[in-house]
Amino acid sequence: MAKVVVIGAGFAGHTAALYLGSQIGRKHEITVISNRDVFGYVPSWVWVGVGHMKPDQTIFKLKPVYDKMNVKFIHAAAKEIHPDAGDQYVLGEEVSSGKEVRLDYDYLVIAPGPLLNFAGTPGLGPENGFTHSICSLPHAIKTRDAYLALCDRMQKGEKVKIVIGTGHPGATCQGAAFEYIVNVHKDLVKKGLRDKADILWLSNEPSVGDFGVNGVQIKRNGHLMRSEEFLTSVFNDHGIRYQVQSGVTKVEDGKIFWQNYEGEEGSTDFDFSMLIPQFKGQPFKYIGKDGEDISARMVNPAGFVLVDGKYGLPYPELAQTPEAWPSRYQNPTYKNVFAAGIAFAPPGPISKPFTNKNSLLIAPAPPRTGMVSGVIGRVVALNIVDLIEKGEMTHSEPMTEMVAACIASMGDSLWDGNAVAIVMKPVVPDRKKYANEFGRDLFTSHLEMGVSGAWMKFMLHHTFIWKFKARPGWTIIPE
Amino acid sequence: MQTSQEFSKAEKFWMNFKIYQLWRFIVINVKILAAVYQSKRS
Repeated sequence: MAKVVVIGAGFAGHTAALYLGSQIGRKHEITVISNRDVFGYVPSWVWVGVGHMKPDQTIFKLKPVYDKMNVKFIHAAAKEIHPDAGDQYVLGEEVSSGKEVRLDYDYLVIAPGPLLNFAGTPGLGPENGFTHSICSLPHAIKTRDAYLALCDRMQKGEKVKIVIGTGHPGATCQGAAFEYIVNVHKDLVKKGLRDKADILWLSNEPSVGDFGVNGVQIKRNGHLMRSEEFLTSVFNDHGIRYQVQSGVTKVEDGKIFWQNYEGEEGSTDFDFSMLIPQFKGQPFKYIGKDGEDISARMVNPAGFVLVDGKYGLPYPELAQTPEAWPSRYQNPTYKNVFAAGIAFAPPGPISKPFTNKNSLLIAPAPPRTGMVSGVIGRVVALNIVDLIEKGEMTHSEPMTEMVAACIASMGDSLWDGNAVAIVMKPVVPDRKKYANEFGRDLFTSHLEMGVSGAWMKFMLHHTFIWKFKARPGWTIIPE
Repeated sequence: MQTSQEFSKAEKFWMNFKIYQLWRFIVINVKILAAVYQSKRS
């Protein structure tokens, strides 16, 4: 009987656990270790952050789902990974008792989600700083409370400044911040307060609509359309000011400090701000059989797990080398260790990085959340099933072949809500396969705004929660 | 750099015209599902 341990129960870890449980859970031991005992549907936290959705509607208990799927659940925080042959195990600390737990494994999936590195930007974040975040449910709730208090001030006639975007020169997840800014706009319009707020988009992207994926390009009626033009129209239409090519370096009470591509240092005042922090890998200890630190064999300096990618290529070469992107998410040293979701180390950025004259690197990191996380979780799980049953892997899906769909909501009403539907194929441009300057399939890639997007967002919330609860037919719903 | 690009009145009309949007809802769903199942390797 093989033992498979999955660290983390987010989009990647939970997806992997469901596939493992459904396929081999009766014959082998599948264990999930997570410091949270609930699954959180992250895309809907945008609505929690403006007070349009109750937090309880975005979460459900994991254990009943795992019981049904023949998966053992340990509510504990993983601390150490001991991957050397002969004695491979994960050490964790039980959340309720603080007791140490040891989980031996034959196969390990590392999918704990990101460490929200607020400390990477002095003054950033809701705990020790002055800005807000929607990257965790407690943060989204705190953001909602601060936002509603701000609305109260506006009701009394006060004019306020709102800044939303990225809080670090290397931050990712611009899509979530974009969704939040347009939801705030829409909510203020509904409340009759929009004229009381000056709203600014502040981001590290090279251009509006880049989203850390080098933008999205489509062909419609023979014409080329880029996400930059599209999103610029959205911002102008909504009266949202924007400032891109800017890396936030510090935050003080009511003031955000930034540097731009030109190396200019400036500051922006705010009354309310939601800025996405830099993401790092979780700070697990990787320990060898003699007790030595073997982190260099397992993770890159940011803590992301090294997998079967080609690392160290300069950006111009990487942009022309689609095969540099990993396809099986397997650690090259420890072949029974896999990483899924944000936990795997990408070979480099997708968007063009920029270093300004002050040597500040302003480079959006590649997004590996949502659909990408789920797909990788599935690929990793199916390969582990292959290894256990057949001894060789048959699944692979690099981001240079992966399709990703993103529905960025702009108000949750099914009558007058709106959303931008974005489909990109592939996520990472493949300039060898697609003979255009963008390296994308311009027919499949899609960019469209309308009330149908709001219907899709609503539908996705319910179908994905159905899927993640492993209800009948869950496998036919794509990640 | 801030530009003055905005959606046209016609574009805004179609974005909110429910019957057309129902059609777009079907089209986008089919497009996503087709793309996903094409890329999903067995």
